[in-house]
Amino acid sequence: MPTTLRIALLAGLLALLSNLAVIGFIYYRTHDEAVATVRQQVAEQGKVLADVYRTGGKPALDDAIQDTMTYADPQTAVSLLGRDRRQTMGNLEAIAADFPLQEGYHNALIRVRGQTTPRIAAVVVHRLPTGQWLVSGRIAGEGFAIRETLERSLFIALIVAGLLGLLCGVILAHYVGQRIGDIAKVADRISARDLSQRVPLSGAGDAFDRLAGQINAMLDRITALMHELQLLTDSLAHDLRSPVSRLRSAAHAAAETDDPFEQDELLGSVIRQADSLMRILTNVLEISRSEAMTGRKQFSWFDVSELAAELAEMYDPLAEERGARLDYVRPERAVPLFGHRQLLAQAVSNLLENAIRYGSGGGEICVRVEPGDKKIRVEVSDRGPGIPPERRDEARRRFGRLDSSRSDEGAGLGLALVESIAHLHDGRFILEDNQPGLVTVLELPAHAGEARSAGRREPATGTLSPSTASASEAAAVR
Amino acid sequence: MGRKILLIEDDRETASYLAKGLNQEGHSVEQATNGQDGLFRATDGSFDLIILDRMLPVLDGLSVLKALRAARIDTPVLILSALASVGDRIEGLECGSDDYLVKPFSFAELLARVNALLRRRESRVDPAEHRLTVGDLEIDPLSRTVRRSGKKLDLKPREYLLLEYFARNEGRVVTRTMLLEQVWDYHFDPGTNVIDVHVSRLRRKLDEGFEKPLLHTVRGAGYMLAA
Repeated sequence: MPTTLRIALLAGLLALLSNLAVIGFIYYRTHDEAVATVRQQVAEQGKVLADVYRTGGKPALDDAIQDTMTYADPQTAVSLLGRDRRQTMGNLEAIAADFPLQEGYHNALIRVRGQTTPRIAAVVVHRLPTGQWLVSGRIAGEGFAIRETLERSLFIALIVAGLLGLLCGVILAHYVGQRIGDIAKVADRISARDLSQRVPLSGAGDAFDRLAGQINAMLDRITALMHELQLLTDSLAHDLRSPVSRLRSAAHAAAETDDPFEQDELLGSVIRQADSLMRILTNVLEISRSEAMTGRKQFSWFDVSELAAELAEMYDPLAEERGARLDYVRPERAVPLFGHRQLLAQAVSNLLENAIRYGSGGGEICVRVEPGDKKIRVEVSDRGPGIPPERRDEARRRFGRLDSSRSDEGAGLGLALVESIAHLHDGRFILEDNQPGLVTVLELPAHAGEARSAGRREPATGTLSPSTASASEAAAVR
Repeated sequence: MGRKILLIEDDRETASYLAKGLNQEGHSVEQATNGQDGLFRATDGSFDLIILDRMLPVLDGLSVLKALRAARIDTPVLILSALASVGDRIEGLECGSDDYLVKPFSFAELLARVNALLRRRESRVDPAEHRLTVGDLEIDPLSRTVRRSGKKLDLKPREYLLLEYFARNEGRVVTRTMLLEQVWDYHFDPGTNVIDVHVSRLRRKLDEGFEKPLLHTVRGAGYMLAA
């Protein structure tokens, strides 16, 4: 697999490079220091002898050479060579024939008295005014030997490090390849229409597990959505059948009848049925629009408490007609929200219509806006029969009507639309128990959309101030 | 009195049905079947109203509208569209149209809106009178007071707005959706008869105790305020 190979080579190369850097540093430091130390010692020794000659002349130098030979350590070499390269004094038994007799520092192979083999030494040569050569030096010996061993070891270490790096790379590439391969395998099977496949987790909780988890969650969501979509298409097809058949029979009857008054009546019914079909379709469309998160560009700042007040005022007469009292509990101050005013108005109006339709028998309907630091709750509560907890999910579903009789106008889309509008605002739609009755809650983030569209539009203070004309009008309603 | 209306609609059936109906109302109707042609005709600015379909060949309705407004042609525009969601309606209105009607619609609804737009055009020419009178009804928009036969009527703020809208469209049919859009500024379709309840409350305050009713129900269309 070329990807695996690439990863292996890359890992090997990286290991090699980093080792090379470390080894290079070690080599540089040890090499440099060993050489520098010997060189310094040799240079000092040569300088001392040259100084002795300059101040005390030849006799003093002879004494000094004698002293050095007697007292200095056996690694030290000192010698006075004549013009013919022959030693007049000193402990230098042998020196390489090609040794250049020049002023300065040299490395040379020499043999000192008392030793059997020639060794590498650092040597300093001074020329005396007499034409003689003062040679002084030190056998580098152990320092040089250690350095050589070190250099060999470092070289071996480098090779081993490179090989190990390559091996690590292969193992790593194999591991990564296998984990990714697992995911790819699942993706392949899903492409082949088997949505039940899931990526196995290793249980290590690493990045791969997280990725696998995310992919699985995504697959769950897709499966749920597909299921929902199928249910929706089925329900839509099913629910459209009855209004269409009513429409068809009314149209048929209108065509058959001779009584103009009855015909008029029947045609009116045809139009009403067509309108209600259109309403169902519009609602379905509205829900899918909201779920698809379009419409966020129409978000703006407005006061939710004012919107709720306005809608409470709008539905008050209707509630009264159905024998219920509608109260609005106004929060103490304005509740600014960044959202889709029209859609939220529709959501709250759906909640109110739901409360009036099913809960007005209880006599009390209450609208309440509760501002919070993080969440704004818009509640509509009634004292009607309520919805038992186990049926609440059904109530929020599209076409999920709890009363099986289909006489009612609603197609069971109202609460589903509220839910999708809540989603559009990153909020939630909650059904709660009012003991007795139902509380429908639209829970919206207090700063919905603010982060997403930072710097867009600032809240217009005019519309948020509770002292504006329309707000006080709404307040005057109760 | 007849007016000049430009109808930009690519569906021949709808176009001929609308043209026929508007002709019967005494308006002269010119037709265009694509956006480009429509824009070309509209730019001479001689029309009193443009009825614009949203989905058109060559150039779509909203682009036509934007081009018109950019050219500073402020002829009232009524958009007709099968795009029915709240977002679509708002988008249409934000692009500079004066009204938005969703397909399918009843001709009565279209006519009511056409008349309201033409009337608005008229009142734009004459500066709005301070007082509105319909028969023995007197409305003062500045103080928001309403009197009938000299007797002051006690209206809630929303009832006043409703009545003022009726009065500004005196003698013309006003539909329920027009009321919802113009008086409440909501662009969705409520599933209940909430508007009717408000109108009947207003009617009770307005007509109770008076011999001649002012607020009439127009069957199959809406309501009308007329002396």
